[in-house]
Amino acid sequence: MTNAGLYAALAAANHCAAGCSPKDVVWQSGKLRLYRYRPTAQNTSQPSQGVPLLIVYALVNRPYMMDLQEDRSLIRGLLAQGLDIYLIDWGYPDGSDRFTTLTDYIDGLLAGCVEHILRTHRLDALNMLGVCQGGVFSLCFTALHPQRVRNLVTMVTPVDFHTPADLLSKWARKIDVAAWVSGGNISGDALNQLFLSLMPFRLAHQKYVELFMGAPSRAQIETFMRVEQWIFDSPDQAGAAFQEFVVWLYQENRLVRHQLEIAGRKIDLRALTLPVLNLIGSKDHLVPRDASAALERVVGSKDYTALEFALGHIGMYISARAQHEVPVAIARWLAAR
Amino acid sequence: MGNDPWSHWKAFAARSEQSQHNPFTPFLDSAESFAAAARKYLEDARHAPAAEEAARTFSHFLREQSMVFFQPPWSADATTGSAPWAAMLDAPALGLTREHQQRWQRTADAARRVGEAQRRLQCLWSDALRDAATAFAARVAASGIAIPSIGAPSVATLRSLYDSWIDCAEEAYAGTAHSDSFCNALADFVNASSQWRREFAASVEQWSKLMDLPTRSELNSLILRLKSAEEQLRAERQQHELRDAASKPRPTPRASRTRRAKRNPKS
Repeated sequence: MTNAGLYAALAAANHCAAGCSPKDVVWQSGKLRLYRYRPTAQNTSQPSQGVPLLIVYALVNRPYMMDLQEDRSLIRGLLAQGLDIYLIDWGYPDGSDRFTTLTDYIDGLLAGCVEHILRTHRLDALNMLGVCQGGVFSLCFTALHPQRVRNLVTMVTPVDFHTPADLLSKWARKIDVAAWVSGGNISGDALNQLFLSLMPFRLAHQKYVELFMGAPSRAQIETFMRVEQWIFDSPDQAGAAFQEFVVWLYQENRLVRHQLEIAGRKIDLRALTLPVLNLIGSKDHLVPRDASAALERVVGSKDYTALEFALGHIGMYISARAQHEVPVAIARWLAAR
Repeated sequence: MGNDPWSHWKAFAARSEQSQHNPFTPFLDSAESFAAAARKYLEDARHAPAAEEAARTFSHFLREQSMVFFQPPWSADATTGSAPWAAMLDAPALGLTREHQQRWQRTADAARRVGEAQRRLQCLWSDALRDAATAFAARVAASGIAIPSIGAPSVATLRSLYDSWIDCAEEAYAGTAHSDSFCNALADFVNASSQWRREFAASVEQWSKLMDLPTRSELNSLILRLKSAEEQLRAERQQHELRDAASKPRPTPRASRTRRAKRNPKS
């Protein structure tokens, strides 16, 4: 393909929308939407008879990365394993959300989703899968409401924010976050710039060169554009929650020190005794391996399993290897409990 | 030059006028100094013992040049304390407009600190790129990648060179980005930018009030009031639900009604 041809193909792929599996909005509160995915063709049994799995995504970036396209979808993989999947979409905060706190997100919105699902299924507890920052939210929620979560899966979740490889944390330590937030929101563009700055040559240059030199097929171009959309489709961050997250976790590392308080209550991970599966990307530049693996030494559960994949942060969601291995690992682990 | 505001203003006006006559002066000065430094480097580099020192001196000159390139005009002489701007930053705040003057001074000072931090970051970037280039040259020499003397190199060779360059650049950058000096410069940049934005926003609010336009502070007050009202409403609704749940009739409703009737016969 010539450069002009590739350029035209990329422009033509602008329309490619991420997200592929049929789903329904089953509950909403403010900008939050709770989706329930319909069973896939491969699995038309009655998944609702089992314990549903609630995926708690991060506030940073959009949750459609979990279901990017048919052959790159963790959610499709989980549906194919017969699981009943719910997903939280936090929405795009605007200026009116600037005072939304971590307590509002975790003990308000997340708790509302859980209550809705439990009421629907007439259950006392559900399974929870927390992704990245959503993993931190899941740990906090479980610590606040241990009776509501039966099994907990964390995926590329930072727990120890002061590991040597954690560049974001080093940068954040001396920043006056209160002045940065200054009563407003933090723009998604600013965060994009920050994330690109972690590996500027690879993320802002090499990946495009690779695309141009690789003679990509139409399908590869479309995948590339969907990932590109996901990377830069970054919601603004509600100022108050952002400030709490950066100060309490990145600067003060309270979670691993059992000093974090949400809704006026202490988050003590030593008190978590439920089964925990921790999925770690050993090549993750955003959440370093050690930052995730630290969960083992602080969680109280005797049923703790860690699975490491030689993948990066994004690769954990959409790489070919992840498609084959991650959903199966989660389903097997859940089935055994 | 006197130290009164009028003298400062006249000096500033004269300076502006001068630069209007020849707006290319800074560029010409820069080109001349570059030519002089390059000439010196080429002369010194002819002699083997001095060549290394000459390269270092020239590299240092380029580094300084890159810092000056990113220097905003208002802070050009601020560090020397000789410019009218520098003196105006410290001018005493007196009289009716003292609060506004202080806000402008804080804004200008924050802008100066943004520029300083930006130059430090630029300098660190420059060091990282220099280290990357050195590492890349060493890696290419060690790897024995053959670049044909005649004709274009193959795509595979170019790709290999490119990937090597990216690896070297990321490694050098990571070394810099993890350093205390980079973290400090970045934090100073963000903190100064935050202060500048806050002071600027305060000025905008001041003008908005004069024009009787709604301000961000007023909107924030309303959002906080609304949030507080919503929280109260939610809490009351929860309490109401709890009361409802507690007062739900038992599975044997007839017996329950009977007991209640006995306890409170008037109801």
